[in-house]
Amino acid sequence: MQKINRNVVLALLSLTSLIFLLFQLCYYKFYLSQKNGTAFSKVRGSQSDQDSTRWHVVRKFLGLTSGHNIPVYLIDPLILGLVDKDIEQIKNSPDGPNPECKYFCTPRDFTTFALLDKTWKHEVGLFRTAEKMGFQWLKIINKDPRLDGMDDLSGMEIPLHYIFKLASHAIHLVVFYERSGNFLWHGPLRLKQHMDRKFVPFRKLHFGRYPGAYEKPELLLVSIDDLKVQIPKNPSSFLEEMSHSRFLECRYREARAFFQLYPDDASLDAMEFRKKAKSLLHLAALTLNNLGVKFWLSSGTCLGWYRQCNVIPHSKDVDLGIFIRDYKADIIPAFQNAGLPLKHKFGKVEDSLELSFQGEGDVKLDIFFFYDEDDHIWNGGTQVKSGKKFKYLFPKFTLCWTEFVELKVHVPCETLQYVEANYGPEWKVPVKTWDWKSSPFNVQDNGVWPIDEWDNVIQIY
Amino acid sequence: MDEWKPNPTVKPHKKRSWYLAWKYKLMNQRALRKLCQTGAVLFLLVTVIVNIKLILDTRRAAYEEEEESAQDYDDEMLNVEAPRHPVNNKKVLDVEVYSSRSKVYVAVDGTTVLEDEAREQGRGIHVIVLNQATGHVMAKRVFDTYSPHEDEAMVLFLNMVARGRILIFTIKDEGSFHLKETAKNVLKSLGSQVAPFLSWRDMWTFVGKKGGEVYGEKHAKSPALSTWGDPVLLKTEVHLTSVEDAECHWPDTELNRRRRRFCSKVEGYGSVCSCKDPTPIEFNPDPLKDNKVFDVPVAVIAGNRPNYLYRMLRSLLSAQGVNPQMITVFIDGYYEEPMDVVELFGLSGIQHTPISIKNARVSQHYKASLTATFNLFPDAKFAVVLEEDLDISVDFFSFLSQSIHLLEEDESLYCISAWNDQGYEHTAEDPSLLYRVETMPGLGWVLRKSLYKDELEPKWPTPEKLWDWDMWMRMPEQRKGRECIIPDISRSYHFGIVGLNMNGYFHEAYFKKHKFNTVPNVQLKNVESLRKDNYETEIHRLLGEAEVLDHSKNPCEDSFVPDTEGKVYVMFIRMEQEADFTTWTQLAKCFHIWDLDVRGNHKGLWRLFRKKNHFLVVGVPASPYSYKKPSSVTPIYMEPPAKEEGAVAVPAVAAAEQT
Repeated sequence: MQKINRNVVLALLSLTSLIFLLFQLCYYKFYLSQKNGTAFSKVRGSQSDQDSTRWHVVRKFLGLTSGHNIPVYLIDPLILGLVDKDIEQIKNSPDGPNPECKYFCTPRDFTTFALLDKTWKHEVGLFRTAEKMGFQWLKIINKDPRLDGMDDLSGMEIPLHYIFKLASHAIHLVVFYERSGNFLWHGPLRLKQHMDRKFVPFRKLHFGRYPGAYEKPELLLVSIDDLKVQIPKNPSSFLEEMSHSRFLECRYREARAFFQLYPDDASLDAMEFRKKAKSLLHLAALTLNNLGVKFWLSSGTCLGWYRQCNVIPHSKDVDLGIFIRDYKADIIPAFQNAGLPLKHKFGKVEDSLELSFQGEGDVKLDIFFFYDEDDHIWNGGTQVKSGKKFKYLFPKFTLCWTEFVELKVHVPCETLQYVEANYGPEWKVPVKTWDWKSSPFNVQDNGVWPIDEWDNVIQIY
Repeated sequence: MDEWKPNPTVKPHKKRSWYLAWKYKLMNQRALRKLCQTGAVLFLLVTVIVNIKLILDTRRAAYEEEEESAQDYDDEMLNVEAPRHPVNNKKVLDVEVYSSRSKVYVAVDGTTVLEDEAREQGRGIHVIVLNQATGHVMAKRVFDTYSPHEDEAMVLFLNMVARGRILIFTIKDEGSFHLKETAKNVLKSLGSQVAPFLSWRDMWTFVGKKGGEVYGEKHAKSPALSTWGDPVLLKTEVHLTSVEDAECHWPDTELNRRRRRFCSKVEGYGSVCSCKDPTPIEFNPDPLKDNKVFDVPVAVIAGNRPNYLYRMLRSLLSAQGVNPQMITVFIDGYYEEPMDVVELFGLSGIQHTPISIKNARVSQHYKASLTATFNLFPDAKFAVVLEEDLDISVDFFSFLSQSIHLLEEDESLYCISAWNDQGYEHTAEDPSLLYRVETMPGLGWVLRKSLYKDELEPKWPTPEKLWDWDMWMRMPEQRKGRECIIPDISRSYHFGIVGLNMNGYFHEAYFKKHKFNTVPNVQLKNVESLRKDNYETEIHRLLGEAEVLDHSKNPCEDSFVPDTEGKVYVMFIRMEQEADFTTWTQLAKCFHIWDLDVRGNHKGLWRLFRKKNHFLVVGVPASPYSYKKPSSVTPIYMEPPAKEEGAVAVPAVAAAEQT
């Protein structure tokens, strides 16, 4: 009797524990699916945990933003690079099932997304939901540069970056703002005193080291790794743009100090000149951008930007620089078609090329071509009556974007060296009488054009 | 073993073997059972272990999640400034209140929260509202109850203050002359013993809780008409309540969090802070179909009149087709309370360090605000400019949406304005009618970006020129003969009675009776006829059908216009040249419309309504429309009155409308 009892008890116990085990398994599976989604449970085996974590975090983040109607788009250089290789295939199979996690599982610390500020309302609800989903988040705010140029306005600080962290992966959300000059701007990522410096490895971020300027991208909704996500329509050109997107803000505070010292010329003439110079610059930028020729603000125009964030009213012309390697024969006809007749052409493509176009109302557009040497860059000048050549030497520089008279234009990133090379250490003091042959700090004699070449290298219209 | 006898032993053998077999079997079974038992035990053990592991896993995962969000909270706390503690965490506040002829002050726990000893200023009853939990000052007002109607304003204010707040009263100079019975009763109901008997030049201080106890009251009677009562100093203690008791228990939503922040800081906004059924702060008006101004930024120009701003934003956010994301409030100065109002409505606000003084300060504020608006919304082609003392009509955006394309296409236009300077109750009639006028009315208007960027901004008057921005904009150098489009019935209402160029008398005379459209979705009539050439055709058509009035009658008399409805009448006045407005000004005066300067004219023609008839006034011979005058009619000429009458007590003619 006792024996039978024991057996029965044992059998019962086993049965119970079996049921219990099954129940536990079911529960565990349910829990997992709730946490991470089931779509990849099939693939899980083939992927390491780390890889699928990245995918899951991205999936959750996309769920979060779409739940709050926040139109983010993917700008992660790593993933866009991979996507770019298969772009045709991805475009053609918008909904096709993907056999494996090819993009979002790539090893990396971050996935970067962009958000256009005007497309969403800063709402607290997003962050509460994010917290509920298990995200930790960090918000980086700073001054609004669009108000920076203005005396004495203090707006609310604006969010520049968000970082959402879940498990071992983080989402970097870069907020883009529209600026005058019809471009998008994102701010630098600077941690404030009290912020957690170890929140994520900030140094590895792809965006935020410097502020950046971008064209407004066309977006494309694609499905990659079973996730629907917006990407720039042309990933390769976006990546190209990204590689030299660094933006320099004008030095508004220094400009204000300058105007304290040397009050601005508010005369009607000055105003008229500024208006003309601005429209000439807009026209020149349009023409050169259409040709795909990269240019930057040079000489007086660059000084005006750097010193006073405006056109210098007594400068009487607009100066641009172009690398000779970017020279195109189309430049002259393009300007003529834009209503700017060629005024003179000095030098030749091989040496000291300089073009001058006649803008509206006596304002001249000077285009200097710059020649690259091993340790410096130079451009040339020519004196009409004597055929003398001059050379202006500059230290090597790279190009940055900036905003000037409602235009997105290039300036040398190393502006101070550039301006100092050209105008000397006293560049902060306005000079009204300027001789291009002797005043520049960096001018050198460069011989004389051979007389038989004059017809070619000195053309005046 | 040699002889095997099978038989006898068979049985036992058999028996035994069966037994053995059975025993063996039994033993086998026992082993099996043992095996089973061990197996079962092992299985149980495994189950237990697996179970424990599963439980631990789940726990850990859940815990990690919890921990993450907990850390998040820490993180967020780091971003927030150290929480503000109520004053010293003390439960009792020391309050000192002083009242005298030339000086009043109030000190709370040794901190002076009010001090006024300026001469010729601050007369009347000063009121301070403290938060009963924190002791913070929530509102500061002065009601000049020596002057009429100020007591009504005080009653209105006191009624708006939430129950439980601490109220402090003190009189400077004189506060009883126009303190009527109603106001006295309100003070009495707050617990004041003296209020009903306050009289000429008495000094008085009072501290009490609204709807609760009285903390102290002191009074000094004036001994004679020509002298003041002795200064009184009241020192008392106020017991603070807990924060929970001081706050309302609204459901915890995003909106209510904004509301709570607002209501714990400021007082005097009435039902927005009432615990039961507070008035909404989100309005969700109907969207407009095909809204052409949805993406047009709206700049609200404000100063330090937070109550006005509150009323203005309410009406703005209730207008159909409003897009709150495009609204920016520009506050001239670092004032907290207007910013609180802006945040209450979840809008964005920008503060501006004041430059220069008076009109030039306003002018610089306008410039900074407009520049900032176009910087913040670089895509915008237009900006709507509003001021803090305007009510916005429910169809304001609908009105703009229907007309804005004209501003884009017609170069001869300067602006679109929601305000008709001559649109009074008795002179405006048709909500669907628009005019072209040569003057710039302001008060809710649309500015073209190109006009601002290319023309106005570069030569905007500098701070040292003490100019009014609107007067400057009306100058021919700026306007260059361009015109503005205005509605017959204004889409904005100017309610401000305190301001730089504004006072009660002025408001009553020129703004109070202004007509304001309250009809939603008005379909504008014949918008295309507002284009430059079309408008001339339209005017000629109108003049063609107009009936010439009897010019022998006095135009100021009611009978000048027949008692008809829906007719078009025309009258001719003398106007020697383009700038001769002598007769018009007199006519405007007797019509009781704007007569401080010339407004609403188009080529020597004014259009308005008289007794529900369209009424045209043509200046002869300056106006090109003079040709319509029958030769028998002599244009009416009216003399300006003698000098003394002309010198009405009105502030600078420039006063116009801005603040």
